[in-house]
Amino acid sequence: MRLTDMLNFAWQVMRGYPGRTFLILLAMGIGVASVVAVTALGEGARLYVSNQFGSLGTNLVIVLPGRSETAGAMPGVLIGKTPRDLTLEDALALKSSRAVRYIAPLIVGAGDVRVGARRRETPVLGTTAEIATIRRMDVAQGRFLPEGDPRQSLPVCVIGTTVANELFGTRPVLGEWLRIGDRRFRIIGVMAKQGESLGFNTDEIVVVPLAAAQALFNTESLLRVLVEAKSREQIPNVKADVEEIIRLRHEGERDITVITQDAVIATFDRILRALTLAVAGIAAVSLAVAGILIMNVMLIAVTQRRREIGLLKALGATGRQIRLVFFTEAVLLAASGAAVGIAVGQLGRNIATHLYPMIPFQAPWWALVAAPVVALLTAVLFTVAPARRAALLDPVQALSRR
Amino acid sequence: MNITDFIRFTYDSLRAHRLRTVLTALGIAVGIAAVILLTSIGEGLHRFVIAEFTQFGTNLINVTPGRIQTHGASLGAVNTVRPLSIDDAIALKRAPHVQLADPLVQGNSDVKYFGKSRRVTLYGVGPDFAASLRMQVATGEFLPQEDPRSARAFAVLGSKVAREFFGAENPLGSRIRVGGERYRVIGVMQSKGQVLGFDLDDTVFIPVARALDMFNRESLQEIHVTYEPTAPVAEVEQGIKRILIARHGAEDFTVTPQQKMLEVFGTVLDAITFAVAAMGAISLVVGGVGILTILTIAVAERTSEIGLLRAVGATQQAILLLFLGEAVLLAAIGGAAGLLLGAGIAALLQLALPALPVHTPWSYAVMAEIVAVTVGLAAGVLPARRAARLDPLEALRSE
Repeated sequence: MRLTDMLNFAWQVMRGYPGRTFLILLAMGIGVASVVAVTALGEGARLYVSNQFGSLGTNLVIVLPGRSETAGAMPGVLIGKTPRDLTLEDALALKSSRAVRYIAPLIVGAGDVRVGARRRETPVLGTTAEIATIRRMDVAQGRFLPEGDPRQSLPVCVIGTTVANELFGTRPVLGEWLRIGDRRFRIIGVMAKQGESLGFNTDEIVVVPLAAAQALFNTESLLRVLVEAKSREQIPNVKADVEEIIRLRHEGERDITVITQDAVIATFDRILRALTLAVAGIAAVSLAVAGILIMNVMLIAVTQRRREIGLLKALGATGRQIRLVFFTEAVLLAASGAAVGIAVGQLGRNIATHLYPMIPFQAPWWALVAAPVVALLTAVLFTVAPARRAALLDPVQALSRR
Repeated sequence: MNITDFIRFTYDSLRAHRLRTVLTALGIAVGIAAVILLTSIGEGLHRFVIAEFTQFGTNLINVTPGRIQTHGASLGAVNTVRPLSIDDAIALKRAPHVQLADPLVQGNSDVKYFGKSRRVTLYGVGPDFAASLRMQVATGEFLPQEDPRSARAFAVLGSKVAREFFGAENPLGSRIRVGGERYRVIGVMQSKGQVLGFDLDDTVFIPVARALDMFNRESLQEIHVTYEPTAPVAEVEQGIKRILIARHGAEDFTVTPQQKMLEVFGTVLDAITFAVAAMGAISLVVGGVGILTILTIAVAERTSEIGLLRAVGATQQAILLLFLGEAVLLAAIGGAAGLLLGAGIAALLQLALPALPVHTPWSYAVMAEIVAVTVGLAAGVLPARRAARLDPLEALRSE
């Protein structure tokens, strides 16, 4: 039997029972489509998070005060205070490293912001002009914080769009005065809409010069220092330099934590990849169920087609050829089912992309390969038993029955 | 056709094709097992998180400075122009129904003892901290009841810190240096282990006023308030707000009852469990398609039998019920098997990975069975209708 004959034969069988074929295709299609759709969701989430981190700036190294002996993210390190502050002088000293391009010290706190009778609680960010370059913040109107000595406390501020709308409505904003706590600040700029980035909404913040924030919150201590390395290769050097510089300034004590952005991204990447794999595995269980269905239908087919198989054998078909006939049919069914499934999965992806344009839904290549391959493998695996049964039929007996 | 005949007929037709029945039921079983297993893990996780929180008590309210909430915590805990002071905490003790009000500030500091040095999480707390969070002291005592504004330099160690510094020695009465100041150790806490990423044993507790001085900071991070368990939460919340607004002139703080936090966690975890269960349910749908396929084939095979039944007087409705019954029975068998399979794997998982919380509530078992039967019914409708509508004459002739 030639290959074309084999395919033709299987095709005839599939066409002979359109209802049955349709239902098997449906089962396989659901399985493959769910795997494709689910991995597309997972991969989309992963890319989204990576992009979000990327928009925070590249080649970033973050310096936090405090250090923990125990491994893992210690909330104590992340928000707690330390006896020895990380100060502005420490941050400025980091510039002496040759691998460092920009630094931006940060103080964050809650401040109640007032204009006339309107008031609003917003996060207040104390920092220097370089943060705009590091974190890719754009200004929609006016300008960002002025360059100059960060020790000088200028009474100016830059506000997010939401803050501007809430406090001023449609009135012009630039040059107006704003009260934060018991201090006054002149608005010199409004930031461009950037939206949420990792839970921190830049549309809702007020940015003031670092020294002003120090006075406002009555603290010397920086929450963290963002450092941008000159290039990707320089990141380890920056890390080593930062630790050494601070150690020398803190009387030999290593009381800071240095996180590279790459490490953070890598962690998130790993977690989300593992999640995607796990969820894809769950969805793939449905492929096994579809495999069971194929086996069931094939077994029935062997009983129904006894005479046909008997005739084939009587005409000289070997057991191997009979097996091949059944495998061809199973592969054909699984392949068409997988094709339908991928098409439907991609359709779902398109709809999801339409609904949430920010998230880059894209089924990863491994899922697009793995889903059909798994479908084919289960189909072949579950056809072994029926095909064997068919091949072992005794032609005389098979033909002798009615 | 009476009920017993009906059941026997269905049972016989399933038994006649044993392999077919087993395979069809297996499809449903795999689906149900996946759903049961996933929801068990979800429910286990839910209980785990709730238990992690409620070990500190449920009649707890957190008061934090500032009103903007990010990442579930008030930003005011970091820096704020509207500080919460120790006096605020003392004033809150007078709020209605309030039992304890304990100030807290947290940080990271170096602790030294005889040349050994360790970075630990430092908690500046009041004397009621252990009582309000239901933490037990292993040896010695917790910080003594005295004016929190001028407390003496006593420290209580977490169990891990005590072990690292003192080994088998008795740490009570020893002097340690915390952030450059000397403290006398008066107690060691019982081991509490990791709670949601916090290692509560790698800690040192000192009086809150001294911690504020050490960190050069004026605002507390939060105030823990416990209230009488029988008191209505809303009333307690109102009382706290009234007192603080009178003291600050405005509502510049956030009051978060523990129960509200638990509810939020509960909804999030339920949503996740539901999403994962839905993913498992895809297999169930495929299993349903399996029943549909097999029954469609069965109707075609048994055309003459149906014709005979109709000829001897079975109504269309009876035929419909027969095939529906077969579908439901198939699904029910599959559902029961899947239930055993899922619960079995869940139990095995618990044996193999005791750290993974797994819990299979009985209500799920009932629900899974109902879902399986529903899937069977839905899948049976089309083939059953086709069987019922067969013309008896045509059907008999098909032989």
